[in-house]
Amino acid sequence: MTLEAAARLTEILLALALIQQSLEHLRGFRDERVLFGARIALCLLVIAGVASPWPLVGLAGLSLLILHRFQGPYNGGSDRMGLLALWCLTLSRLTPVPQWKELAFGYLGVQLVLSYFISGGVKVVNPDWRTGRALRDVFQFSAYPVSEALRRWADRPRVLLAMSWAVILFELAFPLTLLSRPTLIAGLVVAAAFHLANACLFGLNRFFWTWLATYPAILWLQARLV
Amino acid sequence: MLNSLRLLLPALIPSWNFFDVIAPSPRVEYALTSAKGEAPHDWREYRLRPERVSVGTMLARLLWNPRWNQSLFVVACAERLVEDASDHSQDEIFKRIAADLPGEAAPWLSFRLVFLSRRGEAIEREVLFQSAPRRLEDIGVR
Repeated sequence: MTLEAAARLTEILLALALIQQSLEHLRGFRDERVLFGARIALCLLVIAGVASPWPLVGLAGLSLLILHRFQGPYNGGSDRMGLLALWCLTLSRLTPVPQWKELAFGYLGVQLVLSYFISGGVKVVNPDWRTGRALRDVFQFSAYPVSEALRRWADRPRVLLAMSWAVILFELAFPLTLLSRPTLIAGLVVAAAFHLANACLFGLNRFFWTWLATYPAILWLQARLV
Repeated sequence: MLNSLRLLLPALIPSWNFFDVIAPSPRVEYALTSAKGEAPHDWREYRLRPERVSVGTMLARLLWNPRWNQSLFVVACAERLVEDASDHSQDEIFKRIAADLPGEAAPWLSFRLVFLSRRGEAIEREVLFQSAPRRLEDIGVR
């Protein structure tokens, strides 16, 4: 996959993810409807490939207004990954130097790998994660489980211990998937399934689409480096 | 603009420490009173979870999940509020509770933030913030 093809695929997937999020805001307050209506229009221009790279530049500028509106990300980590992807794509499109284009887009790929690896690292050094206690806490009293029935998973410590180690080991092992194309694709399929589970159990639908949108960046980076 | 760039920085240089520790978790509770000086006592949890959510609904929420994402934003505002008591977080929580209460007869709205945490095997509740009451009709919900 060439840099141009990977960047184009990433910006289309990201634009679709941003449209999905923006549509949810159209039922919100008036100022949100204005901001996110404008974002939908710019995303459609990105998908159509019209006036590139200016719709991306517009989206990057608009992202600052949205950050100001909510005094930070609306939905934590998923919005932050969306911002990272948007700004990496925009810088990659704007810079005239080929190496800088690669650097800006490659940075997104590196951060994607780190998003799994560091998440695994901070868990494995925490005794509560190693014993499954942390995941029990997530189900028992955190704000995330989408139903009361799911809270009762906290009563299954052995299942949660297995789930904890599955998540930790997958996240720590993710960089190894870069060794070959087939292992990377397999790793990304498992990662997507992980995000799908988080979307279903914890309602984190924005993570699913945002992380998927960045996968072309790591596919390109792996081919570039290995 | 400088403030927006400051807010952008953690996205460009992320920490990725998702769920490194399971911090105390906020619940937003609200109460309505008929007078400003009346002490609120009938606290109700904002947006109680349903008992069950079907697999079909979970999958549909992949594409359309505005209510839940708004609830997560309110959680984020609650966490910010106990960290640095900003007017913005308080205003946002008031607006989103008020938007769920159209046509309420009692005119004064208060909310409090109850944080749940585990000590040993017990779950403890601690009220870390309680707002002053605001008149419902003064809270902009459009």
